[in-house]
Amino acid sequence: MNRIETDVIVIGGGATGAGTLRDLSLRGIRAVLIEKNDIASGTTGRNHGLLHSGTRYAVNDLESARECISENRILKKIARHCIEDTGGLFVTLPEDDPSYHSKLIEHCKYAGIPCEEISVSEALRIEPNLNASALAALRVPDGTIDPFRLTAANILDAQEHGAKIFTHSYVTEILKEGTSVTGVRCFSTDSRDTFEIYAPMIVNAAGVWGQRLCELAGIELKMFPSKGSMVIIDYRINNVVVNRCRIPSDGDIIVPGDTVSLIGTTSRKIPYDRIDELTVDEDEIETLLENGEKLIPNVSKTRVLRAYSGVRPLIAVSGQLDGRDISRGIVLIDHERRDGLSGLVTIAGGKLMTYRLMAKMATDLVCKKLGVRKKCATHRLPLPGSEQKIFSSRRVQKFTGIPNSIVGSTFYRHGERVSQILSSDRRNYGLVCECEMVTEGEIEYALKNLNVKNLVDLRRRTRIGMGPCQGGLCAYRAAGLFPRYNAASSVESNRMLKDFLEERWKGIKPILWGDALRETEFIYWIYEGLFGLGDINFSDMEGEEHA
Amino acid sequence: MIKLENISFDHCIKCTVCTIYCPVARATHHFPGPKQSGPDTERLRIKNPNLLDESLKYCTNCKRCEIACPSNVKIADIIQSSKWKYFKKRFRLRDYFLARTDLMGSAATLVSPIVNFFTGLYPVKLALDIFFKIPSKRTFPKYAQGTFRRWYKKQHTAQTAYKRRVVYFHGCYVNYNNHQLGKDVIRVLNAMNIGVILPKEKCCGVPLIANGYITKARKNARYNIASLRGELEMESGEKIVTASSSCAFALKYEYPNLIELDNSAIFNDLEYITRYIYTRFEQGDIPAMKPIPMRVAYHSPCHLERMGGVPYTIEVLKKIPGLDLHILHSECCGIAGTYGFKKEYYNVSQKIGDELFGRIERVQPDYVISDCETCKWQIEMSTPYKVLHPVTVLAMSLAQH
Amino acid sequence: MIYDCLIIGGGISGLTCGIRCSAAGLNCAILSSGMSSLHFSSGSIDLMGYDGDHRVVYEPFEYLESFIASHPRHPYAKCGTSGIRDALFFFRDQLSAEDLELYNNEEKNHFHVSALGTLKPTYFSQRSVFNEKVRLAFQKRSKIAVLNFSGYRDFHPALAISNLRKNRFFSDIEIVTGNILFPDYGSIEKNPFEFRSIDIARIFDTEKFLEDIAGQIRREAQDAEFASLPAFIGINNYKRHHQLLQQLTGLLIYEIPTLPPSILGMRIDNALKSRFAALGGVYIAGDTVTGGAIENGMITHITTKNNGASPVRASQYVLATGSFFSGGLISDAGGMREPIFNLKADFDAERRQWHSPSLFAPKGHPFLEYGVATDESLHPVTQDGDTVKNLYCTGALLSGCNPVREGCGGGSAVATGYHAAEIILTHTGKKHDKA
Repeated sequence: MNRIETDVIVIGGGATGAGTLRDLSLRGIRAVLIEKNDIASGTTGRNHGLLHSGTRYAVNDLESARECISENRILKKIARHCIEDTGGLFVTLPEDDPSYHSKLIEHCKYAGIPCEEISVSEALRIEPNLNASALAALRVPDGTIDPFRLTAANILDAQEHGAKIFTHSYVTEILKEGTSVTGVRCFSTDSRDTFEIYAPMIVNAAGVWGQRLCELAGIELKMFPSKGSMVIIDYRINNVVVNRCRIPSDGDIIVPGDTVSLIGTTSRKIPYDRIDELTVDEDEIETLLENGEKLIPNVSKTRVLRAYSGVRPLIAVSGQLDGRDISRGIVLIDHERRDGLSGLVTIAGGKLMTYRLMAKMATDLVCKKLGVRKKCATHRLPLPGSEQKIFSSRRVQKFTGIPNSIVGSTFYRHGERVSQILSSDRRNYGLVCECEMVTEGEIEYALKNLNVKNLVDLRRRTRIGMGPCQGGLCAYRAAGLFPRYNAASSVESNRMLKDFLEERWKGIKPILWGDALRETEFIYWIYEGLFGLGDINFSDMEGEEHA
Repeated sequence: MIKLENISFDHCIKCTVCTIYCPVARATHHFPGPKQSGPDTERLRIKNPNLLDESLKYCTNCKRCEIACPSNVKIADIIQSSKWKYFKKRFRLRDYFLARTDLMGSAATLVSPIVNFFTGLYPVKLALDIFFKIPSKRTFPKYAQGTFRRWYKKQHTAQTAYKRRVVYFHGCYVNYNNHQLGKDVIRVLNAMNIGVILPKEKCCGVPLIANGYITKARKNARYNIASLRGELEMESGEKIVTASSSCAFALKYEYPNLIELDNSAIFNDLEYITRYIYTRFEQGDIPAMKPIPMRVAYHSPCHLERMGGVPYTIEVLKKIPGLDLHILHSECCGIAGTYGFKKEYYNVSQKIGDELFGRIERVQPDYVISDCETCKWQIEMSTPYKVLHPVTVLAMSLAQH
Repeated sequence: MIYDCLIIGGGISGLTCGIRCSAAGLNCAILSSGMSSLHFSSGSIDLMGYDGDHRVVYEPFEYLESFIASHPRHPYAKCGTSGIRDALFFFRDQLSAEDLELYNNEEKNHFHVSALGTLKPTYFSQRSVFNEKVRLAFQKRSKIAVLNFSGYRDFHPALAISNLRKNRFFSDIEIVTGNILFPDYGSIEKNPFEFRSIDIARIFDTEKFLEDIAGQIRREAQDAEFASLPAFIGINNYKRHHQLLQQLTGLLIYEIPTLPPSILGMRIDNALKSRFAALGGVYIAGDTVTGGAIENGMITHITTKNNGASPVRASQYVLATGSFFSGGLISDAGGMREPIFNLKADFDAERRQWHSPSLFAPKGHPFLEYGVATDESLHPVTQDGDTVKNLYCTGALLSGCNPVREGCGGGSAVATGYHAAEIILTHTGKKHDKA
């Protein structure tokens, strides 16, 4: 059995775990990250990607609002290629309570959020696709953030500073000596190996799954999962974040995210045992589309690409079960103090926006315990790829001979690293995904540098299969590149092709009508009718226990 | 920020069918094809106009992708509008003049012998090539002396005497270059007891759109719609006809789809001439015709294909006795209006046409027949054959003179 | 224009119907809105590939006898086994008249190799895909080379081979792979979108590099007896190129259909259109039918986008507009409909019933079976329950057929298209005129 020794084990490859890994590495602490699936595959990758200004929380949760606006300013500096500074609007529609508008302005003042009242015609100039019957509008510093890029960039920086990462590996046991945690035993669903990692400190950054981890450690940490569903629209129907100016409720925001727009979100409590099998309900979709159309009328005329759900990790701090003690803010638990179990720290709650702050809090605590005095620098050191100013046409023109659409799209995804991806080798810019402009070079780069084990991982690093055809042409093309770059065997590639299309299908199935249905018919015709993918027997391969 | 109105790209399901039928993609690898240039990258341009690819300038707007598309995506419209929506406006004298067929026409027809003489001279062509990037190999259409409208003035009273009349949108080509075609239209229609009334008109806008002068195109379009609607209201004629397939296409389809003007007031009454003639033929209104024993090859222009007008031309031609008609496989000739007059596209333009030229060569006709004036220039320049308009052929077969 | 027969939809079904009608002397037009699904088909014609338990059907005609009896609502049931047979052989003869030869293994299905190395049962294949010699070579367990061209993104031999090796039939057959480089590859590949099947097929059609390519095939195939290439060895002259390549290499060469666009399907599309035109049919592309008027159970006229308000008339109408992909059926969040005549369509009112839980569920998806319901003579019914007597529905538009699961898409399109034509010809008294 493989045995690894390190200083800190981080469990959970979401934004918080990745941020913690980076923070630790930048402070010179050896760290290893364990993720049961892929990075950003849980809650991190399943939200609407809003770079909060904090306005949404200003009325109900002043503390969160303040955290948001402060992190908002930091991320705009350190994560340039992961965010888009689109700006945001809060619009009051005829059916909304007009008093909320002034209330919001007032509370933004308390929170220190620059919130500017603008005329409706000015709002329509900023976002021409907005519902023209809006009554009032506010302009706030909302933006968008790509959780996949953010997490991948944090991991990449950590790795470049010596950290190690194991994806598709889950903890089977927490190793203890007396009242101290000493390490973890893990199983890799990829290599099918069991291995052990030993470290004086473990950070539980597993989010909603942290409850299970604590169970493994023999302690209790109660989570109250709440499901949030979203729908994705085929293209970017708005270029500015549009919020409904009313008490937070279902379907009150449309966020432009790269080439698409997302309508968010619903909120429903779900039992803990359902967190791994989220489904979007029909009425949720109806609510989202209905409300989305009110904000931007084009919603009704546009293809819905997918629907999906994420789960918010709300946490009961003292371990009481009645739910009255639930916190929506950041929770840092020193289990030595709370449960008498040394060596384990839990960082939970919070939101994508505050991942860096959470990582800092967890790392500060770990540093204190390990006696490391180096200060946090993540608020000023840019992430890899974000070293310089954002995308501009001048930067694109440096790559002569390669179409702007390709250079620009690659730049959006990898920032400055674009120069490592688009080389002079022609093969490198042959297109694999034609909707999102993913080249063979980008795939090669991702396979070699970004911890990609399968096609779904590759999608999170590159956007392959995230455009209108949801993998129609690129899935097969990309699957064929895995054996070519020795990233998987041909047999495995065939299986990951099927898994990938099934994964896409999960999000398509709830919105299967109109053009999405036509697209599905086309893809099904190709992959089943023409290729017979469903007929391939994979049962001769070992089944994954935790697929 | 962009107001999203033409969102037909949203229906594209990435079936790749359009890439097969694009004549430009076949001729040059510099053009990535309609799917990439249209719906695929439109999503990116909406995100950030800087993601615009220079390569989409290669599109000739032949609309064959739209004919092929099973999802009703206005592919060529998307590409055309991207050209003027996203590219920075850079003034080019050549494009300015190429786009203004009416301005050039009214000037050139005053001194047409001189203009024709000079544009035929090699040193002049060379100068045009060097200074204006108009390929020296390109032959210029000849200008006529005076305008067709001036000639028509004397005919007007006689034409109003007919009980059944049509309003004839003659277009720039007839007015400035080829009076004979206009006269043939009148002769054929008169032989069917139909009078021909000329409306007030401006250039339909095709060259303006192609060269990005959208404001001017809109201005002309508004003028034409108002003028033609006026003629219909005054009952000057039962239909509006035009013998230029590209003018017809612009009036009917480019106005609403590309430059977003409401033309519903004239849409249903506007017809390409062969379709009108065909309808009259069906009513039994067939003029006396004498056999013309000619071997002819018919080439269908892209824009007539897009309008579904080709079968009518073919049916009309089939009615001409003695005509040995060979229908050429539908291909783009490559000139695409002013496209082939630009040096940077000249080679592509000729390469697109190669397939067609070869097919014409194999038929060895006495004449080629085509509905479009720019197809005519391209074929006459690139093959040894002369090109006639279907109405001219009809006029040739009229029994009495 | 007034036609004897106006066919809405220019795919395989509409064209089969149009060719049959024109061959009998009817004045026939086809209105098509966009290119058909032949452009991403396998280019083989499936008759009946799988039974209800998804087992391969080897003897399709024999199987159809019992299938028809137990599936009265299936489009095949309306044609009858002998009708299906007539249709298929009529179809084969028409393509043959256009110099496109189809192979069939007498009464049996044969298998063509897919780009993923699975074997798909089918009835007709183009001879460059399957023929007697290929069958014999398989039986002799000859060594196979699966070849690709450098820069071609839409075929990956490694994926195909790994699945072929899993197949018991291929367990003792040696399979090798190799790559062919276009002679002036560097100058051909100029943009990142290059090298769809169509681009390579066009290079083949120039015939420039055949000898060079043949040399490379011979080398890359090592000592294999036959070699597969992705299906792009030409559109117009593929027959000649196929023969030439076989002569120059001394190998048996067969084609594997790949990602769209399908060159194999295009060849059929070209041949059918050319045949239809040769018989005097009018093919109007790029127009969309916007509506039709039905009076006393008869269509009086239809309107189209390009014709605006002026009606298009015919005495008989055929609706061969395909399924959702081609726009024959339209769905939205609330339901489904047939957009032109608003005919009665079979579908489940509950949206969650339209599909199976997983994409590759063994039983397929119910939405593929949805469509317009007709009587025995392919006449549909309006929402009011009236039969439309001069309208016939054919092809993928029809309900009751799951083309992918049953492996019968091409066959049912041809059979119903032909069946509609036969009924029309009986009506018009032209039944026995065959070209």
